[in-house]
Amino acid sequence: MNAMMTRALRKQERVSQCITFIILGSVGIPIWNVLQKTYAADTEAASAATPLNTLSPPLDNLYTVLSISFVAILFGIACAFYLQEWLPQTNWVRRFIESIVAILGGVPSIFYGILATGIFFSYAGTLKTIGVVRAPQGPGDGAALESLSFPHDTPVFYIVVLTFILMVMPLTIKTTQAALRSVATPIREAAYALGASHWQVLKTQVIPIALTQILAAGCRAMSSALATVALIFGIYVWQYTDAPGEMSNRFVLFLSSALLFSIFSSILIKLCTSASADPAHPTR
Amino acid sequence: MNHSIETENLSLWYGDFQALMDVSVKIPDGQITSLIGPSGCGKTTLLRCFNRVNERYGNVTTEGKIEVLGKNIYDADVSLPELRKAVGMVFQRPNPLPISVYENILFGLRIHSPMRSITRADADEIVEEALKSVFLWTDLKDKLKTRATSLQLEQQQKLCIARLLPLKPKIILMDEPCSALDAKGTRAVEELMEILAGTYTFIIVTHNMAQARRVSKECIFMFLGELIEHRETQALFTDPQHEKTSDYVHMRYG
Repeated sequence: MNAMMTRALRKQERVSQCITFIILGSVGIPIWNVLQKTYAADTEAASAATPLNTLSPPLDNLYTVLSISFVAILFGIACAFYLQEWLPQTNWVRRFIESIVAILGGVPSIFYGILATGIFFSYAGTLKTIGVVRAPQGPGDGAALESLSFPHDTPVFYIVVLTFILMVMPLTIKTTQAALRSVATPIREAAYALGASHWQVLKTQVIPIALTQILAAGCRAMSSALATVALIFGIYVWQYTDAPGEMSNRFVLFLSSALLFSIFSSILIKLCTSASADPAHPTR
Repeated sequence: MNHSIETENLSLWYGDFQALMDVSVKIPDGQITSLIGPSGCGKTTLLRCFNRVNERYGNVTTEGKIEVLGKNIYDADVSLPELRKAVGMVFQRPNPLPISVYENILFGLRIHSPMRSITRADADEIVEEALKSVFLWTDLKDKLKTRATSLQLEQQQKLCIARLLPLKPKIILMDEPCSALDAKGTRAVEELMEILAGTYTFIIVTHNMAQARRVSKECIFMFLGELIEHRETQALFTDPQHEKTSDYVHMRYG
């Protein structure tokens, strides 16, 4: 069936992929809203006993961080295009970035979480290392908490943002480059030999063929960003609550929804990609 | 006799490796000329020089002069799209684009003309004409919307020739066009070349000496980056002037 697929059909397929991508991107929002609401209700109840309402700003900021990582993904895709399509293989910038990407791309996301919390906590000055915890000492002790909520104008916010970018970029660059490489050379040569410019080859041949895999790259990077949010959130909750049992329940809820998101998106990606498996070499 | 391509002392290096050494050749207009020689002798490199498609590999240095249709193609004012429009190329493995047959034929025209400047009626006519001139119209007229990569190899290769024609090239370069085809496909492509030869200048790289003998009027023998002999095909095969040529055409090596 694949071999007989016409352009119109492929267009339809591509539209459905874009819609899937948007849906996947927006799945995070309702999950987040639910969490926020229950969280707010919870802090209200808690603030009767202790003034813990300073806990909600960080969550808002994490949301900002997530949208920033979305932008970072787009930037990563652009980077991959530049590396793969414009820089020659011998260029030292390309080799340098590719070696970094190769190393960072293989690091599990939990290490980024640990890196972020490590820098984050030591920067805040409340904790020397992750293992040493100074829990709030009561209603009067707001200093520890305030320094932990990371408003936009503090360096801590930028540390978190940079960590997310550091985590999302290598993954995106690696997978997008692989997608571009998968477009067979004969196809490019055919287009060049007919007099197409570099941009025309990209626009008419390379991007349509590689788009599915590039979208998949974006989804995958977003999933790993979500997983790290879960980690930061978990450490947060674990250290700064007077009702550890309830809060860790919430953490488990978030973690499981992040996990569900990842599984859900990877299944959808698999479904999308198998429908147009390797369009450059359809089975005869 | 007019010459569509003339090279003068053409040398080419891939990095430190010299692939072509002082090649000077004149290729006549409106005929089939074949390039023969053992593997790695620079046939394909020479062919790829004529539409400057080998520059894409990077790390390529060229010296000397190539005049295509009276114009040095290494001049600064030469536009690559225009050059490649005039000098079409057919590759070793059929490489139709993974789009429909119809769009494959229009691809060249579309990239050379502004958006939406080709009307539907014009497009239909162009496709029909191109397919008719390669004798594919009866086979494919009901399959215009199928993906070109799903056709038979022979049809794919003919389609690759057909998609050059709407651009009205003067020269068609062929890099072992029949090596991926069976005997029947080879015969079909050869016949097609013979019919089109009056209108276009063909340069064909081939490993198949029988094919060079069958189709080409003039023959160029290359060896290790050097042009050894360039004569009429019959003369080159029956009475080779050079020792290396005679060894090759009598299949003592290669």
